[in-house]
Order: sequence, then C-alpha cells, then structure tokens
Amino acid sequence: MASASETMTVAKPQATGMRERAWYPYLLIAPSMITLVVVSLAPFIYAIYLSFHEAKFGRVRDFIGFDNYITLLTDARFWNSIGVATTFVFIAVPIEFMLGLIGALVLNQNVRGRSILIPLLFMPTMMAPIVVGLLWKIMLAGSWGFFSYNVLERFNILGETSIFASPELALYALIFVDIWQWTPFMMLAFFAGLQALPLGPYRAAAVDGANPVQMFFHITLPMMTPLLAVIGLLRFIDAFKVFDTIYILTNGGPGISTETPSILANKMTFEFWNIGEASALAVLVWIAFFAFCSIFYQVAKKRLNAF
Amino acid sequence: MAEASSRPEGSRGLFWTTLVIVYAAIMLFPIFWMASMMVKPNEAMFARPTQWLFVPTLDHFSYVIEQGFHWSLLTSFVLCTVSTALVVIIGTPAAYAFARFEMKGKDDLFLFILGSRMAPPVCLVIPFYLIYAKVGLLDSFLGLTLAYMTFNLSFYVWVLRSFCRDLPVELEEAAALEGWSKVQIFRRVVFPLLRNGIVATSVLCFIFAWNEFLFAFMLGGKSVTTLPVSIPKLITSQGVRWGEMAVVGMTALLPVLAVVFVLQRHIVRGLTLGAVKG
Repeated sequence: MASASETMTVAKPQATGMRERAWYPYLLIAPSMITLVVVSLAPFIYAIYLSFHEAKFGRVRDFIGFDNYITLLTDARFWNSIGVATTFVFIAVPIEFMLGLIGALVLNQNVRGRSILIPLLFMPTMMAPIVVGLLWKIMLAGSWGFFSYNVLERFNILGETSIFASPELALYALIFVDIWQWTPFMMLAFFAGLQALPLGPYRAAAVDGANPVQMFFHITLPMMTPLLAVIGLLRFIDAFKVFDTIYILTNGGPGISTETPSILANKMTFEFWNIGEASALAVLVWIAFFAFCSIFYQVAKKRLNAF
Repeated sequence: MAEASSRPEGSRGLFWTTLVIVYAAIMLFPIFWMASMMVKPNEAMFARPTQWLFVPTLDHFSYVIEQGFHWSLLTSFVLCTVSTALVVIIGTPAAYAFARFEMKGKDDLFLFILGSRMAPPVCLVIPFYLIYAKVGLLDSFLGLTLAYMTFNLSFYVWVLRSFCRDLPVELEEAAALEGWSKVQIFRRVVFPLLRNGIVATSVLCFIFAWNEFLFAFMLGGKSVTTLPVSIPKLITSQGVRWGEMAVVGMTALLPVLAVVFVLQRHIVRGLTLGAVKG
C-alpha cells in the first residue's frame, strides 16, 4: 500500500528503539478503534440486518430477503428523492465552486484586515445548519420576510406567499440557502491554497511579460487543480447529505418537491415507521457514500499529498 | 504572506478591501436582521413595508426563560464538553500512533475512520434509535455522548493525525536515545508540541457537537434537550414564535462567533479534514 512506504521512511529511524514493542501502536489505537466499531460499524451492520427483515413500528419480524430493496427500488418516491438530491447538488456545488474561486482570487489581492474579515466570512459555514435554516425562514417568510417583501414581491417574482410554498421554486430557494452557507468554505479553502503557492513561477512569468490572465490560466490553475478537485469532491459528498436546513425550511414539501433521500429516510422511520425499508435506503446511501469517500481519499492522498 | 498574483499597491489595495467589506456586509445581513428580531415587538416584525425603527422589547427573552430554555443551554454546554473531553482522551494516542508507526492494514483503517466521519447522520440515526430503544438509552445523556463519538472521534483522530505529521521526528528520536520511555516521550516531547493542534481540533469537535441537530432531536427528548433542538420546538400549534427563535438562534451563534476569531487558520484545515493546511 502506498501509505505504508511513505510512513516507513519516517518510522525507520525510530525502529531501533521500538522494534521489540510491535504491539505499542496497536495499544494506542485500540480505544479509538473499539469505540468506533461500537458507534459506527455496529449500527451499520444492524442496519443491514434490519434491511433484510420486515420491520414496522419498532418490531422486527420475518426475514424477507431483498423485498425491502425491491419495494424501495420500484418506488417512484425513492427515485424522486434521488432526482431532487441530484438537482440540488449539481446546481449548488458548481455555483459555490465558481463563486468560491472568484472570492479567493479577490481575497488574494492585497486586502487589508484579513484577520477580521476572514472569521466574519466564515460565519455562515460554521454556524449550526439549523440556525442557517432559521435565518432564511425569517428572511424568506411569506408576506413579511425581509427578502420576500423587499426583493421577491417588489420585483413581482412572487406574491405574498412564501417561496417555500411553491412546488417549482422551493428547491431553488434551498439551493440558494446552501450557496449562502457553503460559498465561504470554498472561498477560504481555495484562498488557503493560493497562499501556499510558490512565488518563483510568477516572478519568472513577470520577467517574460505575462499578464495576470495568462498567469492565472498557465500557473495558478494548473498548480491549484488537485486542491480544487479535492475540495470540490468533499463539498459534493457533503451536499448529498444536507438534512437540517431542508428539515426546518420545507421538510421535503410542498408535496415531495424537495424531498432528498435523507429527508425520505427520516420520514420513513419516524413518520411511517417503516423501518425495514428505511434501513434498506440507509444501506444504499451508505454504500454510495463509502464509494465516494474512497475516491476522495485516493485523490487527496495521491494528487494533493495530503493524509 | 505570499502575494502571489499582485504587487502591493496602495490604492488598488483599498479597492479590493472595500469590495470584500461590502460583500461581507451583504452576506452577514441576515444575521444582523435576526439579531434585531430578538428585541423587536411582534407588530413591528410583521409590518409591511419593512419597519426599520421600533421600540425594543424584552418580551421574547422572558418567554424563552419561562420555557426553561436556559436548561437547554446548560445541557448543550455540558454534553458538548463531556463528549469532546472523551474524544480528546481516547483519540489523541490514536492520532499519534497513526502518524508515527507502521501498522498492518493502515489504509483500510483510514477508510473506516473517514467513512465514519462522512456517513450521512440520517443513516446512523435509524439503527441508533432502535438499539437505544432496546437498551434504554433514549433521552439519556450517555446515549447522546456516545452517538456524538461517531462523527467527532473519527474527525478528531483524522485531523489531529495531520498535525502530528507536522512535528519533527528528530526530537522523539533524540529522547529515545536518551533512554526515555514511550510514555515520557509522549508526555514531555510530543504533547507540548501538539498542544495547539489538540486545542484547535477539540474546539472544532465542540462546535460540531454544539451545532448537531439530528441525533439530539431523535435520540434526545424531554430530559435531554439541546439548544438546536429547542429551536423547532418554538414552532407551536398557536403559531411560530419568531422573536423567541431569534433569541435561541443568536445564543447558539455566539460561541461560534468566538471560535471563528480564535481559530482562524485552523478552521480550513479542520473542515477539509486536513487536506488543506490553512
């Protein structure tokens, strides 16, 4: 494995004094690994077990094989939720990405007072998602919400009703909220990347008389590509599991127009009490996430030399 | 600081600074607006057109205290502190070991840790709920503390490991040659150097726990109600208590505001799981 050879070079000098204690590192990781097996692996295995059983209203009955999966995969509501999440992610993340990159380039100019501005810019990303939801529930409330009244109503985009009551527009409102919440993260992560770039190539290019646009496309962008890919992938994975903001803003409504797999799984469990099918959904989502995670891990490790 | 794409020029600096300040002001406006709603009387709140000036009131605060919301604040604080402390105690040695030693199947263990961190909470909450219902951990302090370990322990080990890798290994080697024991090396060489990393990572863990909603909502209940959970509870059958929600929301926001100023550079590293060094 790649990481093995990497860490070898670090660990080798120590090996003289530590060879006789091969169990020492395992002793150090044991408490963490045991805890994680209990709180992470065990629930996952239990979810797999549940997904193969008829389980309703908290009572686990017969083994029914793949029935839960078949019911789920033939359910239009499931495919609707996949569609909603896909639309959400594929609109929100690219916009966050572009705005973040532009913001990072602006921040990388000689902006003063960064030590005050950067923390302030970080607020939307760091605050509780439930509070983000609350903020926009207030701003976009029907008739009296600040944004609803002063922007949407004044420019005749919507009447007195809340945007979250519109089956066509509710999803876009959620995308807008996600962009507000996560653009700062993209921006500041990209900015950190820009700050770490070496100056040498820029000096050489300046000597050759390159203009800023050429420098951006021929120096900045190529050097930033691995970082952009890793951050984009991370955000992509995270955006699929958004729950809190959607829960407080629409809870999947109106109808099922903003129902993502997360919201659907939650409803299946705590509203319909159809635990078997909800578990099947959870397992499928879990497997998809694990695949994305391993891609993220490989890209970050190989291309960015992180981890 | 590396000024990669521009030369320092006074007037242009002023232009970019103004641009960023204006952008920040627009982006943060919703937060100011919510803050103003804490002391806004209901008549002014629902006024059309938007009413900017009003006589401040403390009604929302008194309602929120009547409802025993300060207990949620206390619950949140104690829960996050305890779970973060546990994570630090259990996770620090693991992070160090992963950064320094060779182990069998290390890559697989990493993926397992990363997977625990990235797993959608909704997937976890279903089995957690059923298991807790069986063993009687629903609505208990211990139950939530354990559940928070799923994302915080994995996060802590993962990110602190990247801090460990930044430490020079030579000091530890020198100490080993002096004949210091492993425990001595860890306590007297590694720990002092790692202190900043531990503080930054654990403060982020605290904030993640502080902000967490789904677990607290589903696995908590009447006796364990955290601050985020008390927000949707103000959407009552008699209507939505907007002013009160603003009070609770701003209270939840304050520690975050403090943390972003103190942690600055470490936040990027934390949020990118150590992929970007901030």
